[in-house]
Amino acid sequence: MMRLTLMLALAMVLSGCNLPNPYAAPTPPQQVPGGAPSLPPSPEPQAPVEPLPTPEPVPEPSPAPPPREYQLSSASRSLVDQAHAQMVAGNFVVAAGSIERALRIEPNNPLLWIELGKVRQAEGNYAQAENLGRKALSLATGDPRTQSSAWRLIADSHRARGQSPQAREAEARAEALTPR
Amino acid sequence: MSRTSRRTWRLRRVLILGALLAVIADAAFVFYLDRRVTPQFEGRRWTLPAQVYAQPLELYAGLEMSADALEAELARLQYTRASDLTRPGTYRRRGPRLDIAARRAQFVDEVREAQRLSVITGSGGVTRLVDINGTEVPIFRLDPLLIGSIFPIHGEDRIVVTPQEVPPLLPTALMVVEDRRFEIHHGVDLEAILRAAWVNVRAGAIEQGGSTLTQQLVRSYFLDERQTLWRKIKEAVMAVILEARFEKADLMNAYINEIYLGQDGQRAIHGFGLASQFYFGKPLNELSLSEIAFLVAIVRGPSYYDPRKHPERAIARRDLVLKLLGGFGAVGEADALKAIKQPLKVTSSVTAGYYPAYLDFVRRTLRRDYREEDLTEAGLKIFTTLDPRVQATAERALVDELKRLDQRYKEKDVLLEGAAVVTAPQSGDVVAIVGSRQTGLDGFNRALDAKRSIGSLAKPVVYLAALETGRYNAASLIDDAPIEVKLPGGKLWRPENFTHQVNGLVPLTRALADSLNLATVHLGLDVGVPKVAQAFTRLGLDKTPDPNPALILGALDLSPLEVAQLYNSLANGGFRTPLRAVRDVVSAEGTTLKAFPLEVTPVADSATVYKLNRMLTKVTQRGTGRAVYNRIPPDVIVAGKTGTSSDFRDSWFAGFAGNHLAVVWIGFDDNRPTGLTGSAGALTVWSNLMGRLDPVSWDATLPESLTEVWIEYPTGLIANPGCADDVVSIAVPKDSELPIKPGCGEDPLSDFAERTRQWLEGIIRQ
Repeated sequence: MMRLTLMLALAMVLSGCNLPNPYAAPTPPQQVPGGAPSLPPSPEPQAPVEPLPTPEPVPEPSPAPPPREYQLSSASRSLVDQAHAQMVAGNFVVAAGSIERALRIEPNNPLLWIELGKVRQAEGNYAQAENLGRKALSLATGDPRTQSSAWRLIADSHRARGQSPQAREAEARAEALTPR
Repeated sequence: MSRTSRRTWRLRRVLILGALLAVIADAAFVFYLDRRVTPQFEGRRWTLPAQVYAQPLELYAGLEMSADALEAELARLQYTRASDLTRPGTYRRRGPRLDIAARRAQFVDEVREAQRLSVITGSGGVTRLVDINGTEVPIFRLDPLLIGSIFPIHGEDRIVVTPQEVPPLLPTALMVVEDRRFEIHHGVDLEAILRAAWVNVRAGAIEQGGSTLTQQLVRSYFLDERQTLWRKIKEAVMAVILEARFEKADLMNAYINEIYLGQDGQRAIHGFGLASQFYFGKPLNELSLSEIAFLVAIVRGPSYYDPRKHPERAIARRDLVLKLLGGFGAVGEADALKAIKQPLKVTSSVTAGYYPAYLDFVRRTLRRDYREEDLTEAGLKIFTTLDPRVQATAERALVDELKRLDQRYKEKDVLLEGAAVVTAPQSGDVVAIVGSRQTGLDGFNRALDAKRSIGSLAKPVVYLAALETGRYNAASLIDDAPIEVKLPGGKLWRPENFTHQVNGLVPLTRALADSLNLATVHLGLDVGVPKVAQAFTRLGLDKTPDPNPALILGALDLSPLEVAQLYNSLANGGFRTPLRAVRDVVSAEGTTLKAFPLEVTPVADSATVYKLNRMLTKVTQRGTGRAVYNRIPPDVIVAGKTGTSSDFRDSWFAGFAGNHLAVVWIGFDDNRPTGLTGSAGALTVWSNLMGRLDPVSWDATLPESLTEVWIEYPTGLIANPGCADDVVSIAVPKDSELPIKPGCGEDPLSDFAERTRQWLEGIIRQ
């Protein structure tokens, strides 16, 4: 029993979130379980009406992922540095272009969407800055640090538009997520 | 005074006056021509069609590209192998290492000078980039492929080169072949005219024409092609004027940029700069002796010596030019002989690297902001999002499948047609457009203009609207049962399933996977047709479709591009981003005139879209889209939907993997039935296309508000894999309370613990 509790605790720490739903499929969220089709795909049109007779293979159990920490690849890093320099020179169009180059390499990296949002914020396109912050949030699942910076960007964009209540709320969310 | 002498005097007066008038008229004519020719030539600016570039290939450590694949990309850019790398546009391969002498290239943000780069590859792709000093380079762009230009209606297309960009051999060769006394004559060469006439009379063969380079320039620049004596006189006078006013070097450079050198449909190839790209796919200063000789050879008759139509004529004339060059000492005799032995390697087809359907979209995008003259005259550089590799793959996948399908149709009077659009979902970049099976022809662009009934492609929008109500999840049961709907006109609508069977209560995920019409109509009516119609608009349709119940089953005509915009919002997790082909417009001087920035707008809750996308992966794993796995590796997760309109008039497939989204349509232009369902024609093209693009899984992270559960596929009841035979995983909100399959819910916690134990053992074993 002791061993069981320990293992449960460990699994929970690793999953980094609330108690799992008792019915949760214990698979990492990045994978769709049973990814492989169970039947040899047929080349002709088909619209099966009956449930398929063969069950999907039972996927190997695996743990929920530990909290992530998104990082930039070295290619993205150099492009972001370049963008910062271009922003200092006031060349926002070109700076955004540099971030977009990095996004083509790592489209799922929320840090890059935040960087693009900062360029928009700097050039006064606050609505886009907020949208890009939200885009980053949608990708930053499991990474509180990145979520926090996305909320901060959203807060800045509200503040710049004089939307104080929304700015405060976003700021509070950013604060709550800041790792201690 | 006698009458006679008076008459003589009068005659004399008339003659003198006439002569005087003639001199004045003559002077006036010369003056007039001078006034016309000199300023025009002095301020000469060729109308410079906008040049359109593909997205450059980015090289960086971690890029999944083998040395072989990289070599293929270099070949696409017409880089040639060389051992010494002294010239830009060359490379050498040493096993996993490629040393590249990259060309000077203009990008949006910089002009990068020619430079050396070494790319070291390993089993997983590129591992390192180093420059000539051995310093690590984090990222490097190859020069962007020139994919075409926006030329004016009269069709003159050119790339202007400066004297520095011209290989010295070219003017020399032009003089040897066309005008040997160019350096000394004054615009007209009487000796050459007489000699040419004499040679022509004697042999009937043309060794040398009588026109000087200056006369040819005048003819091309100022005059039309009519062969009249008056025009000849004008030409000669203008040539003399130009010679008097301008330096020889100016005239030579003008000639090199002006002269007509080929035809590509409506597009007239002018100047050696463009001819070099047109025939050899590389810049003028990289041409070999044989290639320069060829370009000089075709000056006399670009269509007569067209190397793609009459290679033997072209080679014979090139060899003649090479012999002349050797004979006159312009090149060594041995070099000339060596060049004669070389084959004439012209780029494979007239349309290689020319993508009319894509250019059409680029042109339409730009017409919103630019006047026609700006595009065709101002020398703009247009940087697009086209990925040449994806474009080539899409063209091949579509054309191959259509050819295969041709054999099915006895009726050969009309050919089956098709179109495809490929995007990078997160940025909305359109990376490929195929508008027809004749990919090289600038004709009807089906990807943009064929508005066809989308059929079942509408279903995901219905299911999105349903999930958004909060009343449904992927396990909710809907009734797949007959239904009659009164349409606004009073007509009764009785939809049917594809199989003409009914399935009773089915979970949402299965109804979508199997594309069940009846279940979907029940669902759509319950949600409300106006809500469905409004979801179309949110996802990116320009105007809200008519909220007719038949909309639920896709009674809506859209182009493949419009479908791509809708599905792109799904692939992009509920963020709409306008599909774009043009990223930047840069002036002839290199300043950015306009950028089309990446913009995102949240249009649907990302967790809701995630739930829908999970259901779309079941279409390919379990449902009507299963055949995609004939071409896609089994471990790669893709999401998609088949579409078939009534009577099989349209075959559609729309779907996405992690890196690309593609929409494919196949049908007849006259809308006659094809007999193909979505999973036959379009699905095959889609899976061939995606399969060849090294697909990566759709692997969006599970939103924090959701959790994953297993349900029994036929019943929608919660059941872990050990407890039921046929289960699928779905994503539901964390607080969902779902019905549990009897006998499956006793001790889920112990089951979880058991799995955790197995997992820990798994780790320890590794």
